Amino acid sequence: MNSPVLELISVTAGYGDNPIVRDFSTRLRAGTITTLIGGNGAGKSTLLRAIYGTNRFFSGQIVFKDEPVERLPPWERLKRGIGFVPQGRCNFPAMSVGENLKMGCYTLPAAKHDAAIGRVTDLFPLLRERWRTEAGNLSGGQQQILEMAMVLLLEPSLLLLDEPSLGLSPRMQGDVFATVQRIAATGVTVLVVEQNVRGALLISDLALVMEQGRKFMEGPAAEVRTDPRIRQAYLGGNIEQTAA
Amino acid sequence: MTIDAVYILQLTLNGLALGLLYALIAVGLSLIFGVMEIINFAHGELLMLGAYAMTFALPVVGLLYWPALAAAILLVMLAGLLVYEILLARLRPDEFERSILITLGLSIILIHTVQYFFTATPRIVDTQYGFDGVEIGNIRITLTRLIGAAAALVAFAGLYSTLRFTQFGRAMRAIAQNREAALMVGIRPRVVARNAMVLAAGLCGLGGAALAPIQLVTPYMGQFLIFKAFALVTIGGLGNIPGAVVAAVVLGLLESVIGGFFASAWQEGSVFVVMIVALLLRPEGLFKRGGMRVG
Repeated sequence: MNSPVLELISVTAGYGDNPIVRDFSTRLRAGTITTLIGGNGAGKSTLLRAIYGTNRFFSGQIVFKDEPVERLPPWERLKRGIGFVPQGRCNFPAMSVGENLKMGCYTLPAAKHDAAIGRVTDLFPLLRERWRTEAGNLSGGQQQILEMAMVLLLEPSLLLLDEPSLGLSPRMQGDVFATVQRIAATGVTVLVVEQNVRGALLISDLALVMEQGRKFMEGPAAEVRTDPRIRQAYLGGNIEQTAA
Repeated sequence: MTIDAVYILQLTLNGLALGLLYALIAVGLSLIFGVMEIINFAHGELLMLGAYAMTFALPVVGLLYWPALAAAILLVMLAGLLVYEILLARLRPDEFERSILITLGLSIILIHTVQYFFTATPRIVDTQYGFDGVEIGNIRITLTRLIGAAAALVAFAGLYSTLRFTQFGRAMRAIAQNREAALMVGIRPRVVARNAMVLAAGLCGLGGAALAPIQLVTPYMGQFLIFKAFALVTIGGLGNIPGAVVAAVVLGLLESVIGGFFASAWQEGSVFVVMIVALLLRPEGLFKRGGMRVG
């Protein structure tokens, strides 16, 4: 059995003096999509930020590709292959799409910029078409794709996505989920927090359920989405009938 | 009252030269605000240090303008680096009030330290150019004014190119536009903030060194200029660099024209009258605010 890409061991993290995520452990394997489910304030976004290193880490261990990374700053984690797209608009709105992609190459040597940008614009031709458009003038879905592309420039092994479909039309949500599947098909491990639980579970291999900062349930997405407690709390009916 | 066209043109040229020097201060202030989200109340004192550095460097290099200018800029950049590493690097992004107290305190310390060592007596700075000037018909502009304005223009062109076309400069704009996205792409906020501080100090050093042969050098010269610079940055739209430059040039022209026809008290007050009126009419400033826009 392959060793996990990411292993969280009793992770406790939060903000200031307040731990939000407590004693959280799990393992993610290469090329899988895992959806993190939980109510508002359950600690989902806090967990993603702890893995990337942008909030306070209290205790535990974060092992990425057999290396403990919990004491490293975000840019060191990025160099090692952890990419993070935070919730909300996370681009440079007064810069063009081209400039945003160049900023995505910030940690790469200059000689590799063109090749990296060529690779992601092949994956998302829309970005080439809108090259000179200010990012702030793109639609919500286009901005989300730009943000994922900015992180994919560095070819991360692990991609953390916080609410990628938030505020998008159902059609655009479908496009974002399809994009996530395409990314995972290239061998990237994806951990996604998603408000559209139905849609996310349908493209996921695994699901993690959080309650009040702790892990409540973990298992194959197909099993979790049929669990009566999950259907009652997050799906409100038959997932197969209401799938996005 | 008859208005002489030559006199107006003379005032306009003087105003442009003065406005460009104001812009050096305002742009530095805007850069620091954009990247660090603080207002550097000691920014005027960096300019004052540049002027004093010019005062003491000139005799050492035989009154040669350019080597003294370069020495003053480098010295103020070093001062900016020290201010950042010793004081500002300790600030967290949410400590705006603390930043005010620290930079205000630093401003007062610098003024009184310079006054203690060099007295408050105004100093007149002489260069190899003396009072030489360029005359076109009846219009005359001194070489030191002309060189100061030209150096400011070159500095703005350099700053624009840096912010627009280099990763070093884009990183500053990136932090100003979205701090979280900057972390997402691996930018180190502390390194970028330090670079911005040193760059802004360099602009201030150039401004101070260029002003030294034009006006009297005193420990308090930065204080008079910094409040005008605040006004300019606000009128130009906080964080908008071309906005700050345009506002500074307009202020320089305004001051020069008002000074040419009215008492100097009106000249000093006019910028703040303009600021109040401009902000009443356009609370966000005359140009688009934030994001350290360069175009």
